[in-house]
This record gives sequence, structure tokens and C-alpha cells, in this order.
Amino acid sequence: MPAYFLEIAIVLLGLGLLMVDAFATTLDRRLLGHLGIAGVAAVLAGLVFGVDSSASEPLWGFYATDTAALFYKGLALVCTLLVLVLALEYAPVLESYRDGRPGRRGLGEFLCLPLFLCAGLMWMASMTDLLGLFVALETVTITFYVVVAYMRRNLGSLEAGVKYLILGALSTGFLLYGLAWLFGLTGQTNLAAIQTVLVDWKGDTTPLLFTMALLMVGLSFKVGAAPFQFWIPDVYQGAPTPITAFLSVGSKAAGFIVLIRLLEPLLASPIRHAVLLMLGVLAGATLIVGNLAAISQSNFKRLLAYSSIAHAGFLLMALAAGQPAGGVSPNGVVALYLGTYLVMTMLAFAVLVIVRKAGGSDELTAFNGLSQRSPFLAFALVLAMASLAGVPLTAGFFGKFFSLVLIAGAGQWALLTVAVVAAACGFYYYFKVIRCMYWNDPVSEAPPLVFSQLTRVAIILLCVAVVVLGVYPKPLTCLLAP
Amino acid sequence: MAEIDNYHAVLLQLLLVIGLAATMLGLSVLVGRAGRRNAIKDSAYECGMLPIGDSQPRFSVKFYLVAMLFVLFDIEVVFMYPWAVVFRDLVAQNAMVFWGMLSFVGILTVAYVYALKKGALRWDN
Amino acid sequence: MGTLNGYLLVSGLLFTIGLTGVMVRRNIIIIFMCLELMLSAANLTLVAFSRFGLVNGLPNHHGQLLVFFTITVAAAEVAVGLAIIVALYRAKQTVHVEDLKSLGG
Repeated sequence: MPAYFLEIAIVLLGLGLLMVDAFATTLDRRLLGHLGIAGVAAVLAGLVFGVDSSASEPLWGFYATDTAALFYKGLALVCTLLVLVLALEYAPVLESYRDGRPGRRGLGEFLCLPLFLCAGLMWMASMTDLLGLFVALETVTITFYVVVAYMRRNLGSLEAGVKYLILGALSTGFLLYGLAWLFGLTGQTNLAAIQTVLVDWKGDTTPLLFTMALLMVGLSFKVGAAPFQFWIPDVYQGAPTPITAFLSVGSKAAGFIVLIRLLEPLLASPIRHAVLLMLGVLAGATLIVGNLAAISQSNFKRLLAYSSIAHAGFLLMALAAGQPAGGVSPNGVVALYLGTYLVMTMLAFAVLVIVRKAGGSDELTAFNGLSQRSPFLAFALVLAMASLAGVPLTAGFFGKFFSLVLIAGAGQWALLTVAVVAAACGFYYYFKVIRCMYWNDPVSEAPPLVFSQLTRVAIILLCVAVVVLGVYPKPLTCLLAP
Repeated sequence: MAEIDNYHAVLLQLLLVIGLAATMLGLSVLVGRAGRRNAIKDSAYECGMLPIGDSQPRFSVKFYLVAMLFVLFDIEVVFMYPWAVVFRDLVAQNAMVFWGMLSFVGILTVAYVYALKKGALRWDN
Repeated sequence: MGTLNGYLLVSGLLFTIGLTGVMVRRNIIIIFMCLELMLSAANLTLVAFSRFGLVNGLPNHHGQLLVFFTITVAAAEVAVGLAIIVALYRAKQTVHVEDLKSLGG
């Protein structure tokens, strides 16, 4: 089976569920979510067992099926699966912020849209052409606009939607203008062809630098790198929580996929040093801003938002190294980092969804005494926080470790110092959450925490993944080879 | 270039039209007193009564909804035109070009049916 | 028919006007129009590069293809964007950026 059948399957699944939503008016909308989960799981099985990488011939060289592309497809599918589970859990909160009769408040559509996001992400993972890359990125971004602003009776959600819309469109403007210049300078839209032109670029490098700057500004917005990170905390706080989870994993992965694809020709061109310098500066600034601002946060969603900025800093740092070191390549480290980041972030958001549903608040105080209310959830969140902080023997350790190895190998000692200090800061604010759960007493009339068996299974699997990947990262290290 | 010479007449026409309109508007402001505005003149005319509400009435959100749907479905034609131009040449080699467009239109149809079923085009409620 | 530099200059100006508008204007609808202006500037750049970068005596069709897709993407963005702005107006009776402050830590 050629790899592009997977995207077609996901799109057909999404369209089919939309039609069910439109015609079966009396159906319980949750069923759509369960159907979606089953469908995505089936496609995931197809990706693991049934893909023949050599069968994508008819797509005329704009569709790659290398290991990285298949890995990011899997990442998108797993992410969508977990988001759908969280969305089902979050449904009561979502419906309380929508108009209409119970059961007809747009839950069906909310459960279909992640599938289109997933299709966009999967398509993007394989694109080796500016056109396809741009269209896939916009499919993802525009769908995100819709779902971020989905809770129409919640001002926070609407404001987050407007902010995301304006800054997302701004970054699209920069990115597209940069792509237009890249096309103009090389006369090509295929990245491999662009690379051949740029490798023997003999002329003035000023237009190349201008193009690179435009692309970097656009992509810095998308991945949330300082100084273009200011939209992230507000948008993360306002969006429905399952969508925040999707944003922090999916949208970040999308930004990095595009960044990696576009960096390849630029790093082979005469402006290689300028590109690496700019990446290094962005990485340093992002690490400092993300970690310092996270320390003072009292809202758990904003804390995770700043934490996602901080992680973007580590990812950019891996890319800024620019060369393999110690047997690992920058692109491989980014893939491994994103894979482990998915597991631990989803775990944190899963606990947040349950606590939010019971207590009606995203503040850190809502987590007070969680260890007494539900030892299971408290333990899961401890694992997630330890992993996000990068404690050894958890999944988060290896991503940070390898990016430090890379930057040390490249001899960029200033950036290495910043990163080590930033990682140390991380311990403080992640452990603040743990302190809330174990040292503070719960509010006396705290409502019980209820969640479905499906969510319980998902949380258990994520916990297992955090520990297993921390002890035995073999499944992901195959990505690392230079 | 040679072909640009053919457009001199169009350019001349354009200048004339804009010039004429600008002159007329400018003269009426300069010479006529009718163009002077004041608060009473700017208010909405409601049968000699004091005006109620805004002079720019708000319209129903339905208008926006239809306009948005129109923009979305309208813009898709942009792909059909170049497709139609090369269709005859390409379909001789491979029927893929036909199925490609059919799937594109199919997705649009699903979207249209969805909008219809959700009542986005109903005016009476 | 002008030179490539002329077209690039105009598109650069358009882009700058759009960007300035996004920075200084306070009405979300106008900000949104300025964003569309930036996309149009990119389109003009693409068409100019395509027209002047001849391949076998014909304009480079890659760039023009990208323009088609950009126009569609921009239309989708406008549709979704206006819907969100209308929803915000209905909830809050304002389209000014200063009034967006219900989020914060």
C-alpha cells in the first residue's frame, strides 16, 4: 500500500463522520468520537504494518516516504487519537459553552475537525515541494483557527481564536513572502531542485539572507520561538483544553517539519553560517524567555504554554548545532524530542482535562491535594512533570540530553551554558505543580474526579510509555543516525 | 514591447474617465453649496420624525454566512479553469486527471450537503 | 511592461503597508484587511518572478501554480477569520484589540 492511501483514508473518515453528523440527527455525538478513534487506530495499524515506501511513484517526486516522513505521520496519528480521547472527556465543558439544544451543540463537528488536522499534518510530513508544504501547513493552521475559537459562549476562547487568527495569518504572510523570494531566486519549487541551485550559488548573498530572514520570522511564529512567542500563553489558555494539547504537540511538530525541510537547502548554501547563527540566537532567546516566564505562572495551562516555549528552545538548539555529533544527527534529535514530548505533554493535558471538568478551573490551586483526591492522577502528573523537566529514567531525559550533546559537539559553549541553566530553572516550576498536589490540602468541598475507562486506559498507556522510553529508548533511537 | 501599444487607447479612456469624475466632484464641492454637510443633513430621513437608531442599519448574520459560503465555493473555480484548458491533452494519456477533479468536486459536494443539512442556507428562522 | 525590479518594489511596498497596518491599526477588521494585503504582495512577487524568469521562452509556471493555491488559502482564511470576528462581535460588541483582555495569568 502506498503511503498516501493513509491520508486519503483519514480524509474519507473525516468526511464520512461529517455526513453522519449531518444526517443522523438523533444519534449520540459521542459515537462519532468513538468511530473516529477506531478509524485513526486502524490507519495507524496500516502505517505500521502495511506501508510500502516504494509504491508512491505516481506522485512525481513531491512526496517523500523516508523514515522521518513516516515517523511524523505516526506522530500525527497518535496525537489525533489522544486528542479525540481527551475531546470525549472534555465534551461536557465544551457543550456548556455552546448554544442550542443539548446534544446539538456542535460536538460532532468538534470531533471531526481533528481528523482534518491530522490529514494536513500527515501530508506535510511527506511534502518536498514548496507548494505542497504551504498548502498542508495552511490546512493545519486554518483548521486550528476554527477549533481554538470553538467555545462560542466563552470570551476566552473567542479572544484566543482572534489572536491566533491574526498572528497566524501574519506568520503566513511572512512565510509566503519568503517562499515567493525563494522561488524567485531559484526558479524552482521542488526542494531538491532548490538545493542544487543554492549549492553553487555564486552571486550576491544579500537576497538569500533576506529570504532566510523572512522564512525564519514566519516559522518562529509557528514554532513559538522568542521574540515571536507572545501569542502562545494567551491562545493556549483560551482554547479548549484538548485543542491546547493538539496545538502544543501538533502545531509545534508542523512548524519543525517545515523548518527542517526548508533548512536543508539553506544549510547547503553559502549562507550556512548566518542561518546557524540566527538559529542559535533564536534558541538562546527562546530558552531564556520560556523558562524565566514560566516560573511566576499560577495557571497550569499558561505554565504548560511557557513550558512548550522552553521545549521549542531545546529543539531549535538541536538544529542550531548544524552537524552530527556523538553519532546523532540534529534532525534525528528533533524527531526523538518531538516523539517523547508528545507522550509527556499529552499525559499532563489528560490530567488537566479531568481536573478542569471536576473543578471548573485551570489554576494551579485546582490541583491542591490531588494526591488525596486521586492518587492515580497525581502519580500520572508526577511522571509527566518529571519527564518534562528532563529527570533521568523518564522519556524527557533523552531529548534534552542529545540536544546538549549536539551543541557541545558543535562547540557553542555560550548556548550550552544557557541551556543548562534553563533546564535547571525547569526543575523549579515543574516541581511547583508536584508540591501543590502532595503538600497542599484540597479544598474541603472538592468534587469527585470522574473519567471514562477509555481515558484511564490512555493515561495508563502514556505513563508506561514515559517510563519505558526513559529506560529503553530503542524504539526511537533508530531515528538518530546521521 | 509591441502589444502594449494596443492598450494606449484604454489608458487614455481610463485617464479621461477618472479626470472627468474628479473634475465634476471637485467643482461641485468648490462651486455648489449643495455639497456642504451638516448634522441634520447627515441624519437618516424618517418621514419628518426624529431619527431612531443608527443611520447604518446592522444586518443579519445570515448575510455574512451566505457571503462566506459564496467566497469559499466561488474560489474553487480557480482550479477548474486551468484544468479545463489542459484536460483534453492530459486525459488522452491518463484518466487520473479526470478522477482527480472528480474527487475534488466530491469533497466540495460533501461540504455543500453539510452546509445544507445544518441549515446554513435557510433564511426563515 | 516594466522591469522585474519595479514589480518587486511595488510588492515590497504593499507588504510593508500591510505590515505597518497590522502593527498600528486597532480595528480587527482593518488588521485583517492588512494581512490580506501582505498575502497579495507575496502573490505579486510570485507572478513577477514567474513572468520574468522565462523557461524555454514561457513564464515559469511553478510560481503561477503557487499563486492559485495562495488565493484559495487566502479565501479560506478570510471565511474562517470573518466568522470568528463576527462571533467575537456578537459576544462582546467590539472589534477593537484593546478590548481583548480577558486572558492573562
